[in-house]
Amino acid sequence: MIEVIGITKAFATDCSDVLAVDNVNFAVKSGEFVLILGRSGSGKSTLLGMLSGLTRPTTGTIRINGTDISNLSDDTISELRAKEIGFVFQFSGLIPTITALENVMLPTLFCPDGPGSRTRAVDLLRKVGMSERADAYPCTLSSGEMKRVAIARALINAPSLLIADEPTGDLDVDTEIEIMELFRDLNREGTTIVMVTHNPDLVQYVTRTYRMTRGKMVMSDESLSSRKRAVEPGANVND
Amino acid sequence: MTKPDLHFFELVLRNIANRPYRNIATIFAIAIIAATLFSAQYLIGGAQESLDAGISRMGADILVVPEEYNKQAETIILMGEPTTFFFKDSGFEQISRIPGVAKASPQIYVGTLSGQACCSAPVQIIAIDPSHDFTVSAWLKENPGVTLGKNDIIVGSQILGDIGSDLLFYGHTFHIVGRLDRTGMGIDCSVFSRIEDAYVMADESGIKAVQKLTIPKGRVSAVLVKVDPAASPVAVASEIRRQIPGTKTITPNGLLNAVSGQLGAVTRLLYGSMLAVTAIAIPLLGFISAMVAHERRREVAILRALGATKSYVIWLMLAESFSIAVLGGLIGIGTAVVILMGFQDFISLSLKIPLIVPSPMTLLVDGCSTLFLCIAIGGISSLYPAMLINRSEPYETIRKGES
Repeated sequence: MIEVIGITKAFATDCSDVLAVDNVNFAVKSGEFVLILGRSGSGKSTLLGMLSGLTRPTTGTIRINGTDISNLSDDTISELRAKEIGFVFQFSGLIPTITALENVMLPTLFCPDGPGSRTRAVDLLRKVGMSERADAYPCTLSSGEMKRVAIARALINAPSLLIADEPTGDLDVDTEIEIMELFRDLNREGTTIVMVTHNPDLVQYVTRTYRMTRGKMVMSDESLSSRKRAVEPGANVND
Repeated sequence: MTKPDLHFFELVLRNIANRPYRNIATIFAIAIIAATLFSAQYLIGGAQESLDAGISRMGADILVVPEEYNKQAETIILMGEPTTFFFKDSGFEQISRIPGVAKASPQIYVGTLSGQACCSAPVQIIAIDPSHDFTVSAWLKENPGVTLGKNDIIVGSQILGDIGSDLLFYGHTFHIVGRLDRTGMGIDCSVFSRIEDAYVMADESGIKAVQKLTIPKGRVSAVLVKVDPAASPVAVASEIRRQIPGTKTITPNGLLNAVSGQLGAVTRLLYGSMLAVTAIAIPLLGFISAMVAHERRREVAILRALGATKSYVIWLMLAESFSIAVLGGLIGIGTAVVILMGFQDFISLSLKIPLIVPSPMTLLVDGCSTLFLCIAIGGISSLYPAMLINRSEPYETIRKGES
């Protein structure tokens, strides 16, 4: 599904050059729910940006379903993103000028040959428990509702990979549980998910956990028995 | 698969509607540019077509007038301001004999007065000799049911009075038998009668009118000349001036130059205003576009994350600008058309130019070129911000928006 081979990402800042991601290697198999834990500034979001093709690695190779996305043209990678990758951001990322249903349908504009349709959008809203608010504009939705709509939007083109960047970062505990259970259900239905977070409590929902520190993937804890809380022996991710 | 019913243009319209005040201001600025440009084109086209129609109606290549009444003659032709003048001597027969002259038709110009005791209205009477005329006779050929008999008149489009009704000039009653099409020129405010009726009118005026009218026998006000197809109107006009001293010749080109001179100042003002508005509008609209683009960085980044290509984002932003430009252009053109048509006579009198509503084709071409300019302004002002917004790294923008 995903192969990451020796990728690095360097940024030049006013003060100095920063190596945000430093020689990271890992793989995600189809159907996995992978969590990447790390503190702010650890490089986990930069890694997600590169996995999605929105940020190009300085060095290294990223393969998605066998395709090396590191050197693809912008148009090709945009097409791949529209077809194969669903995105859920920390904030909802909904477009304020269109309704919840239209937001869900938005990615169909970029993937006209995909399975996305109004019917599928309605079904997805029902699936995430938002069918009653289909015609609501984002400004009238709660954070949890917006997140549900964003998840439905991420699934509209039936992507093989769902990328979630701190999807529960701005939610209360109850809503966080609801959203994580939704992700877990989606994973059980076959969607591959890669999620980054700083919250170690979320490892209970995933099949594999990685941890990033200062740009390096320092360890991984493979949860062979899925849905079991993954505990890193002697490690505290909030350090 | 059901076809998705969220479309590109729906997204464009929603984005425009989301910033109503700023977009209304932009539309207003573009409407001013469009109205100014369209007005300039309308006036030039309207004057040109008016001249063409008027000259075509006259059917003459050269108008020979007394040298000292050259300006008045031009005013009669262009604006129809009532004037009375005559040659000191009749050169009509001499003009007919000049090489290159195919036809010559004498005309007598009499300006009527206002007041119930004299005339129904102040108009220009153009008295013709039916045996030599080719102005009214051409119209009569197009309208076979009409004849210009004793005391009959054919009136210009602006003359009040129905066909079949009577008009009083210098106490003499004339009967309206026909009405000419609108030309926008002096003919619209003129009435055509026979020369012998004009003489009778003058003879009776001492008794019937407050002011006596004198038309010297054997003297005419102007001679219309049709030139042989093989001859040059310029050469024939020159020969007429040489052989008959004290005459001035007016040609369609000369009239056009006179009108162009009058139009020139107006069009320079209009084009100058348009250039000034455009020069201010492009950077202003560019600044507004840049502001909007800056505000929408995260929205654009999200679209990119969802699979939009860079070109899609540029087209989206350009389509918004084009839509605003087209809307502003249409409002400007529509407003200009309403004002120009509603106040056409006032504009014609104020600017002292002949004016008719240009043909639908001219209006279409003027409208399209105006819209094109508006679209170009919209495109130029938003292209750079649209390209600039695409240069930023989407994921960085999204992350910055979260913090």
